[in-house]
Amino acid sequence: MNRREFLQCAAILVSGASASQLGVALTQEQQVYLAAAPDYNQGATRLLNDAQRKTIAAMCEIVIPRTDTPGAIDAGVPRFIELMATDWLNDEERTIFLAGLADLEASVAADYGSSFDELDAAQQLALMEDLEAKASESSWYDFANTRRDFVSDAPFICQLKELTIWGFFTSEKGGTQVLRYNAMPMYFDGDVPLSPDQSSWLTRLE
Amino acid sequence: MKNSIIESTNFDFDAVVVGSGISGGWAAKELTEKGLKVLVLERGKPLQHGSGYLGEHAPDWKLPYQGKRPRDLYAQEYKWSSKSGSMNEANRQFWNNDKDNPYADDEGKPFMWARADVVGGRSVLWGRQSYRFSAQDFRANADDGHGIPWPVDYEEIAPWYGYVEKFIGVNGRNEGLPQLPDGELQKPMPWHALEKTIESRLKKKAPDVTLTNARTAILTEDLPGRSACHYCGPCPRGCSTGSYFSSLSSTLPAAKATGNLTIRANSLVEKLEYDPETGKIAKVHVIDTVSGERQTYSARIFFLCASTVGSTQILMNSTSERFPNGLANSSGVLGHYMMDHTIGESGMGLFLDNMDSYFHGNRPTGLYIPRFRNVDGQDPDADFVRGYGFQTYTLRMDWSTGFNAKGFGASLKEDLRKPGPWIFVLSGFTECLPYEDNRMYLSNNKVDRFGIPQVAFDFEFKDNEYKLREDARKQADRLLKAAGAVVPVPAGRKNMSMPGESIHEMGTARMGDDPKQAVLNKYNQAHDVPNLFVTDGSFMTSASCVNPSLTYMAFTARACEYAVKQMAEGHI
Repeated sequence: MNRREFLQCAAILVSGASASQLGVALTQEQQVYLAAAPDYNQGATRLLNDAQRKTIAAMCEIVIPRTDTPGAIDAGVPRFIELMATDWLNDEERTIFLAGLADLEASVAADYGSSFDELDAAQQLALMEDLEAKASESSWYDFANTRRDFVSDAPFICQLKELTIWGFFTSEKGGTQVLRYNAMPMYFDGDVPLSPDQSSWLTRLE
Repeated sequence: MKNSIIESTNFDFDAVVVGSGISGGWAAKELTEKGLKVLVLERGKPLQHGSGYLGEHAPDWKLPYQGKRPRDLYAQEYKWSSKSGSMNEANRQFWNNDKDNPYADDEGKPFMWARADVVGGRSVLWGRQSYRFSAQDFRANADDGHGIPWPVDYEEIAPWYGYVEKFIGVNGRNEGLPQLPDGELQKPMPWHALEKTIESRLKKKAPDVTLTNARTAILTEDLPGRSACHYCGPCPRGCSTGSYFSSLSSTLPAAKATGNLTIRANSLVEKLEYDPETGKIAKVHVIDTVSGERQTYSARIFFLCASTVGSTQILMNSTSERFPNGLANSSGVLGHYMMDHTIGESGMGLFLDNMDSYFHGNRPTGLYIPRFRNVDGQDPDADFVRGYGFQTYTLRMDWSTGFNAKGFGASLKEDLRKPGPWIFVLSGFTECLPYEDNRMYLSNNKVDRFGIPQVAFDFEFKDNEYKLREDARKQADRLLKAAGAVVPVPAGRKNMSMPGESIHEMGTARMGDDPKQAVLNKYNQAHDVPNLFVTDGSFMTSASCVNPSLTYMAFTARACEYAVKQMAEGHI
């Protein structure tokens, strides 16, 4: 038995019994309540038209594509972005978002005679890299500028990336199949070996 | 000796306790266990332990905006509550709506007053770190002449610290330091590998400091009705296993078990009514915040535990011919000598040690570096009095701290999936001196929706507080370098918190032996009114640099014992 296994066994012996008596009964109550609560990204959407939705979906899949694990579309990110743009972004941010989306649609129509989602992935990536290059002076890219609510004057491409990444990693698929999630870890061990294939935990301390 | 307790039948209750938070819960427990019929009045909404914790264990995808805080709503209705980082959509129902229950924040000077609005009060939301004041803390005012001397010394309160520590359950490590007295602690929570690396380096390169567990009121061993922590992480959502101490999980159930407890939620106390014939409080005036109905309750003794600002507001609003400037305020110090700790990052460091070591479970607390400045008399290089401690946080960078990277696609996804470098944060908690002109008062022209004058603040940090923070910034840089940070990031020079931000407001009805200079005597009893006790943070004569709640609990328990003895002996 190695140290980690020993600690796991010890922790189960010490805390498992008691917490199961008190904790699990209540956890079942919570499980029922939580199961009944709909996921946020199941909410009704009404901000975008179908063409805009296709563009947003294609863009977030470029940010977080499906690989051997789910991608942004699998995780419901397009709907998350529309919901956030509806009433989480403020008026100024929503204006930037909708104008950026309209600009992209117009330039794709002019340059390619098609819509963004009809381009191949390499063309889509090139267009988004171009948007990122033009936005690169934004404070959004500043080192460690992540502990804040939002950068209100961030360009469209930055908004799109931020909402995609947040929406993805806090979704059920992203949080459990790409990151790792354990609502009831039952013990703390501060020295567990980390292998390269292992992901971060989803939970952040509040 | 008269058996006065039996003679309280002329009263609605033996005791009224205003507030159900950390102090009120303790008063309820102690008084009911001594046989008193107790009414607890709570301004906030009802909250059931367990089933009321609607956000507990909710994963991000079940929360509105998948956990992002709705900024417009918070700006409009939770202007001050939302300044606390621990408020979010998983626990918003516990917090005060600042639009419904405002204070006069456009008067005086800017001050953050963050409140709960539920049964259990801020004990549901608190930071849970629990330290004893030291002998030096209780001597500090007498030694350096700031404020007035404490009427209590460490030896006198030490047994009460032990009494409350054992009941609430505090985990940590005794270090035998005079500036951080040992306690009755449960076994400490384990450390991250990086923290052990840092400890061994500090032992060699900075032997003047001690790195220890943050002593935290979270169980590592079961107590009756409460389980050891299951390490889910976000405590301020409520804990249905009662693993962290709150009055909901601990003191109120104990009080309820006696059969002597009545709790009224939605019950805002307007004032206490003074009877000039008996020289005592006769009644409490209560407003039902839902129906608007007004009611009074009589009792033999009254405990104000409504939080520092709440209790002081009640006293200030309880004027009479005898007390035109606020109840029990013949000294004139009520509302003055207000204190608050200064908090915030003094520095952080990026570490590349122990990169192949990760963790299981979310340890809901950090480590602690107890005060090391001005401990054996005044340090020759210190241009300030008193000191500070560092609360530390150990974080692993991840997608949430690195999402603003350039790039797209599978490689971005792969980078964001994996843990990044370690971050170790030193957060300075510095002492604040008591100054007469740091005060709260009642607004002349603003009232709340029930007609009660709103509170305003006239409070600022001064020279000593700024010097302490600057020293903490320099020392944090030294310690982070000694600890082996590859990139030490010192705080900016203006690393001063906003007044009120530590949510440790205290001192507005201070205790002292001299009735001309203090509202309360050494047993938290009003010098002017024998059946009035105030046991929340308002009694604090000085602030120390440690988190104060444990001290409120110890003094509350002691005051209850004294009050019941006084009743039994027929004095009140």
